[in-house]
Amino acid sequence: MSAVSLRGVTKRYGDTRAVDDVSFDLHENRIHGLLGRNGAGKSTAMRMLTGQEVPTSGQIRVFGENPYENADVLHQVCFIKESQRYPDIFLARHALEAAAMVFPNWDQGFAERLIEEFRLPVKQRVRKLSRGQLSSVGVIIGLAARAPVTLFDEPYLGLDAVARQAFYDHLIADYAEHPRTIVLSTHLIDEVADIIEDVTVIDRGRIVMDDSSENLRSQAVTVSGPTKAVEQFSDGHEVLHREDLGGFTRVLVSGVPTDRETASLQVEPVSLQQLVVRTTQFHDAALAGAGNGNGKGVRS
Amino acid sequence: MTPAQLVKVARIQLVNARMVLGLPLLVLACVLAANIVIFMAIQMPGEPAITGALVSVYIVTLVTHIQTMTQMFPFALGISVTRRDFVAAAGLVVVGQALLYGVIIWVMALIEGATGGWGLGLAMFDLPFLQESNVVTQVLVYAGPFLLLSFAGLWAGIVFHRWGQLGVWVLGLALGALLVGLMALVGSQGWWQQVFDFFAETPTLLMFAGYPTLIAAILAAATYATSRRAVP
Repeated sequence: MSAVSLRGVTKRYGDTRAVDDVSFDLHENRIHGLLGRNGAGKSTAMRMLTGQEVPTSGQIRVFGENPYENADVLHQVCFIKESQRYPDIFLARHALEAAAMVFPNWDQGFAERLIEEFRLPVKQRVRKLSRGQLSSVGVIIGLAARAPVTLFDEPYLGLDAVARQAFYDHLIADYAEHPRTIVLSTHLIDEVADIIEDVTVIDRGRIVMDDSSENLRSQAVTVSGPTKAVEQFSDGHEVLHREDLGGFTRVLVSGVPTDRETASLQVEPVSLQQLVVRTTQFHDAALAGAGNGNGKGVRS
Repeated sequence: MTPAQLVKVARIQLVNARMVLGLPLLVLACVLAANIVIFMAIQMPGEPAITGALVSVYIVTLVTHIQTMTQMFPFALGISVTRRDFVAAAGLVVVGQALLYGVIIWVMALIEGATGGWGLGLAMFDLPFLQESNVVTQVLVYAGPFLLLSFAGLWAGIVFHRWGQLGVWVLGLALGALLVGLMALVGSQGWWQQVFDFFAETPTLLMFAGYPTLIAAILAAATYATSRRAVP
């Protein structure tokens, strides 16, 4: 069942289409990765599905209802964004106290453990917090709110590696006990690759990939070997990326042809990050109308 | 929107009540102290003195409510509060605050009377043009301008939040043009005498509580309408 659905959603700002005819679902009680380059439209999509922006056209449903100005739905939704600003008069604890009032599932004990772990100085003025400390305010709210739909948009700018790992660990552990629909939007794809169960990649406002990460990873491989053998192997499949060196070729091909001859070839699995990056480049090249020198965007 | 929800969102706006409600009063206390010191220094003995320093608390309240919309509003939307709930709760806070401050100023006026104008014959609260004969109307007379200025602050704040400095300038110029237009109309029609009579004859209660409340209601509606498409 899907907790959130977007159907033909477009958001225009003047002449630019930040989000262009996008349709996808966020399945209930799964962890989703919403990935894409800067300015791809991820944040705009999340702002629309949390009722903060109104789509130019299309339909958005959260638990079957339009989220815009819908208090019953929105209290089920927690959207943590990197750009969140706090009132100047706030101490760090005021932000947490306010969140505790809004979210019905708020777990104060959990919040206190997180404050301890992230070493957040709660009595400090919000204005005096470092970038990393500001990020932990958001992370703590996002986790302790236990909202049925929780979105993290680049939640950990300025957080050190230990704090990021602590965030992932708590997210997974708490998700196991209190399943909910989680969206992680980040550029650190490698870090979240093992956590996210579904992947949606958005580029130039359009969806270029939307599947479970298991499917995506099983479909794509990197194949290297003599050019001729590699070309035979990948024939009829989508070559997302190709590198040539002398008579030697290496391709990233999706839609794995399992029954093909692989004796002279080296076949390796593809990391999610590679797959996302190459798919995005492939999509960009196709839009530009021609392949670029490095990643030959051609269907073989 | 249930009353419980409204109170909850109002409590979010007051999560740092010490700053929201306390700051204007702190400013008022400082201004009173400053006035006492100044009048001790300059006053000619036996001469009554009136200060307009009370206006400071009204101005500070206006500024805090500009910030309600430029800072608290985007934060509240960020934690899943709807615009409607936020604006309604802000209205609740403003009305409560206006009445609270009205009572405080009434008490200050009593103290002023009892101490012979802070021992100096100084009138800062018990101003001649604001005097009412009973407690309720007296408090309302003090509260009315708070309502007006607070809602003006809320509207200016949301206009600034949506359209930035340019929006506030355009709004200010438009209101200025409207005022000039009205004055031109009054001048060309020879209505000045009636205007002066209006200000002279309107009862204090209507002037400082009735009309301000009416205008505040219009500003509240404008704030709500402007917030509908505002993004955090």
